Amino acid sequence: MALIEIEGVHKYYGEGANALHVLKGLRLSFPEGQYVAITGASGSGKSTLMNILGCLDRPTSGDYRLGGRDVSSLSDDRLSEIRNREIGFVFQAFHLIPQLSVLENVEVPLFYDDVPRARRRERASRVLEQVGLSERLEHRPAQLSGGERQRCAIARALVNDPRLLLADEPTGNLDSKTGEEILRLVEELHASGRTVVMVTHDPKVAARAQRRVRLHDGEVVEDTASPGSGEGGAS
Amino acid sequence: MIAGKYAEMFRLGVRNMWGYRLRSFLTVLGISVGIAAVIAMVALGQGAQEELLAQYGRLGIRNIIVSSVKPSDEDQGSAGQTSWVARYGLTRRDYRQIRATVRSAVSVLPVHTHADRIWEGSRSVDARIHGVLPEQMRLFRLDVVRGRPLTAMDNIRLNQVCVVRPGLLRALHYYGPALGHHLQVGDEYYEIVGVLREEEFTGLTRKALNADPRSLELYAPYETVIKRHGTMSFVRKSGSFQATDVELHQIVVETDDQENVLTTARMIERILQSFHRRRDYEMIVPLEFLAQRRKTQEVFNRFLLLIAGISLLVGGIGIANIMLASITERTREIGIRRAMGAKKRHILAQFLTETVTLAGVGGVFGYVLGVLVFSPLLEMWTEWTTIVPSWAVPLAIGISFLVGVLAGIWPATRAARTDPIHALHYE
Repeated sequence: MALIEIEGVHKYYGEGANALHVLKGLRLSFPEGQYVAITGASGSGKSTLMNILGCLDRPTSGDYRLGGRDVSSLSDDRLSEIRNREIGFVFQAFHLIPQLSVLENVEVPLFYDDVPRARRRERASRVLEQVGLSERLEHRPAQLSGGERQRCAIARALVNDPRLLLADEPTGNLDSKTGEEILRLVEELHASGRTVVMVTHDPKVAARAQRRVRLHDGEVVEDTASPGSGEGGAS
Repeated sequence: MIAGKYAEMFRLGVRNMWGYRLRSFLTVLGISVGIAAVIAMVALGQGAQEELLAQYGRLGIRNIIVSSVKPSDEDQGSAGQTSWVARYGLTRRDYRQIRATVRSAVSVLPVHTHADRIWEGSRSVDARIHGVLPEQMRLFRLDVVRGRPLTAMDNIRLNQVCVVRPGLLRALHYYGPALGHHLQVGDEYYEIVGVLREEEFTGLTRKALNADPRSLELYAPYETVIKRHGTMSFVRKSGSFQATDVELHQIVVETDDQENVLTTARMIERILQSFHRRRDYEMIVPLEFLAQRRKTQEVFNRFLLLIAGISLLVGGIGIANIMLASITERTREIGIRRAMGAKKRHILAQFLTETVTLAGVGGVFGYVLGVLVFSPLLEMWTEWTTIVPSWAVPLAIGISFLVGVLAGIWPATRAARTDPIHALHYE
């Protein structure tokens, strides 16, 4: 079954004659467990697509089904719950909260899911161990290297055990060596069965995904599957 | 669960305050000053209130005190009195008439005050001996700290006993045992049976009690004083004798109820008017004074409250201002939290918790500042009494909570409404 299905999605910014038509009737379907790279020049609409996929924004028109559920018309509170439980975000700029420790940053999603303190602590430490940050629990983000910050952010994205991992240029702020580490980590997560959608402008990074979707001017201009990946391809 | 969440938000709030120490300190300071001002003003109002009560309550708000006053010279002339004795004031007839006709009077007490020279051995002082009934001592709480008060029996037996103010003994340089010692008043000897509390009367109280400005009081049974000294007093004044003949210096009326005080006063006034051709008496109604002063006090209190309110408003605006700045600075954090699944109300609650925490800390400091610094300073400058009432604690907590909520609600609402996408990309 497809985890993500979007059908005829349009997105306008602004109103009337000056409205900016950013997404022009997108139609995409990502099966559960797929590793997808979305590429495109800036202004191609990939960020807007990511926001809609991440339930941070709603399409102006069209359907978005996440795990079979129509989320395009849900209330702000329901969308918050979906972001909290179903989606893990990884951002280019890491987006850690500076005044919280590594452990506390990872606990944030659990806090909004009403997980008791002790269990929060336990689950956050477990995912941090998974990403190799066990030694840094009490550090502040500012005391970490870029790679460590991104690993912390990945831990935070994973802590609620989401079905979908959305990564927006996760290696954009990293040197190639640490970028490689982060990509491997993402690939490991994919290998363990998680659906990964990653936005990137780097063709080399995109090439490692099972499927590449290229956007141009709010339309899908290319949708190819890597050989041997079995699934994906144009839908 | 929910409570736990707010406890966590509180902890987070404290953390953030600590993160922005200087800013938080200034905010807290603003609120503290506001709360301290409120506390100080309340303390001032309360102090004034208690002082009023102490002053007039001492005289008893159910009492009416009528005193003899020497009429002015023209009055005397018109009375055709050319004798060398000044005869004026209240009489026993007034006393009997009031006693017989005023139903609302629980007790009517005559006072005769004899001015004379008081001796202890070879030392002497000019002072007054008040001839009073024992009820007088109870009515005005003239309590003895040693010995016994005057009794009804003293009055019946014409016992030559007295209770004294310690000040009188000091003025006579007598430092021996007071009880059982004898003092000479004019030609008569009085045994000291009781010693009064050290106390000094001022203003209206002194006037109403006909008390000595030097606190040299001597109280003896009414009948004894009248029998032994008569009603004539001789006072030497710049080389010449002046004799006065006043039957009663005061008549004190205790009414049965506060409600009846004013009507009783009017009734007494009518009786006295019918007996006296001259205005040689004066009436003091403590209740009237109290009511008057209370009205003044009320206006004053409102003024104080206004001042305190303004300083609170300034403090509240300070918090709102700081929170708005803080929210702009933390836009990204808001975006991150929203992406992680925070609902609008979570963001609202978080920032509101922070402002309430700030204001709460301000409230605590403000209370301490108000009690330990503002009130004593105010007391020093104004020479008014300040009393911090016990309800100042819930007041400080309540006000700071209210200020926190009011000052925080707008910035917090703005934070909650921030679009998460823009917030995430905010630099």
